[in-house]
Amino acid sequence: MRVYVELARRSFQRHLAYRQATIAGMFTNAVFGVLIASVYGALYRSRSGESDVAGFGVSEMYTYVWIGQSLLMVVAVWGWWEMATSIQTGNVIVDLMKPVDYFGYWLSQDLGRAACHTLTRFVPTFLFGELLYDLARPGEPARWLLFAASVALGVVVSFAFRFMLNAAAFWMTDIAGVRMMALVATTFLSGLLVPLTFFPPWLRTIANLLPFRTFVMIPIEVFLGHGSAMRALGLQVFWAFALSGMALLVLRRAVRKVVIQGG
Amino acid sequence: MRGQMQYKRSFALLVSGIFAINVLELATIFILFRHFETLGGWRVGEIAFLYGLSSISFSIAKIFSGGLDGFQVQISRGEFDRVLTRPVSPFVQVLCADVKLHQVGRLLQGIMAFGIALTLTDVHWSTGRLLYLPVAIVSAAAVFLALFSFEATMCFWTTEATESVNAFTYGGTTLAQYPLQIFDGWLRRLFLWIVPLGFTIFLPALYLLDKPDPLGMPGFSRFVAPVVAILFCAVAGFFWGVGVRRYRSTGS
Repeated sequence: MRVYVELARRSFQRHLAYRQATIAGMFTNAVFGVLIASVYGALYRSRSGESDVAGFGVSEMYTYVWIGQSLLMVVAVWGWWEMATSIQTGNVIVDLMKPVDYFGYWLSQDLGRAACHTLTRFVPTFLFGELLYDLARPGEPARWLLFAASVALGVVVSFAFRFMLNAAAFWMTDIAGVRMMALVATTFLSGLLVPLTFFPPWLRTIANLLPFRTFVMIPIEVFLGHGSAMRALGLQVFWAFALSGMALLVLRRAVRKVVIQGG
Repeated sequence: MRGQMQYKRSFALLVSGIFAINVLELATIFILFRHFETLGGWRVGEIAFLYGLSSISFSIAKIFSGGLDGFQVQISRGEFDRVLTRPVSPFVQVLCADVKLHQVGRLLQGIMAFGIALTLTDVHWSTGRLLYLPVAIVSAAAVFLALFSFEATMCFWTTEATESVNAFTYGGTTLAQYPLQIFDGWLRRLFLWIVPLGFTIFLPALYLLDKPDPLGMPGFSRFVAPVVAILFCAVAGFFWGVGVRRYRSTGS
């Protein structure tokens, strides 16, 4: 157990060192946040009549935009490819021989990274949004804890998914296509581009059956108090186990392949 | 042969992927308009029109940005010194070093979006409009390419902070999909007077769609796209020159 904590801690520190990239990233997040919030603001202004659209009032819409921007890096919506790189360079052999479970090895590092990004990307971006816009905030402090738990679960589900994507490198030399497809699925179906509640019913059904909503949409719904938080968290736990299970199966096949090839 | 087939398959996958991810951005706009009537007074077809212009010009710039994208690696590997010894302009060399052909996926998607926009809007295609359309697109593409050039030039000073230019490139192309007046004064001024996407996408669109100007600009402002683009490129070129001079003088 101590090993995993140590791995997470080192990962946290490693990511803390990227100071310039962090500031550049924060700047980009802020600009996009203002941009997208302006678009939604204009859309809502054009409506006469009810102020709620698909379950979101203006203030909640702004919250959706800013939490989305703040959460991007934490749940690594746009992917993470360290593991694939280690497979391509051959370092994976060394990693597989370590006395640590391979899945746990990467999971603990990802949790360290996510913790770092929570501090360096989530907090500043959210505070910036808070300063400029009238965001809807949870009434009771308990909801903040639920939100934190939801984000943590989102990171785990996201990790299991990314683990499997990276594992493609065990079988393919060029995973650029995999990266693209993953990007397509995660940005759209996680609810990052537009709230899933805005989808036409048939698309909504598809999105609800897939794990991507656990990355962004569900944490936002927990934050805003939409629907039952317990059900939401429960769904995330389900996906965390389901995808982790799948990831471990993929890993077992990959290891068998490596061993057979005498790698 | 198998290697070539794998490469072709990978390329096709990449192009389809880029097409798909951008189509989703377009789809998002249509999804939004299921719930809203107008955006800043503009209907969905007109937004798709802006989207098409923005996407097409951004794609063109992206296709030619390969060399600029790879500049960071080139300079960190010390390969730029070799570039400086050759009699051709270093900028031209860097620019031509690579071409991102797979971005044609984004271009196809942009053209499709523009096509959809044309079916949803009623554009009166006079000779003037037909001639100005490609001029505006090329001008906007030049502005985006100049932004990529800025990003590459930053590598003379830093390697980590260049990501910030994404706010202007990707941010810019996203912003240009919407009518400029919906944005706060400072953001509007930024993308009009500093990064002139307003002059190369929004204002030309006002002319092409024959819409009144919500910004109260003089009439001729719709037609200055090429002039503004050339000026912006000149600034980018000047900045690049400063970078090269600095690189030479520090004797790296």
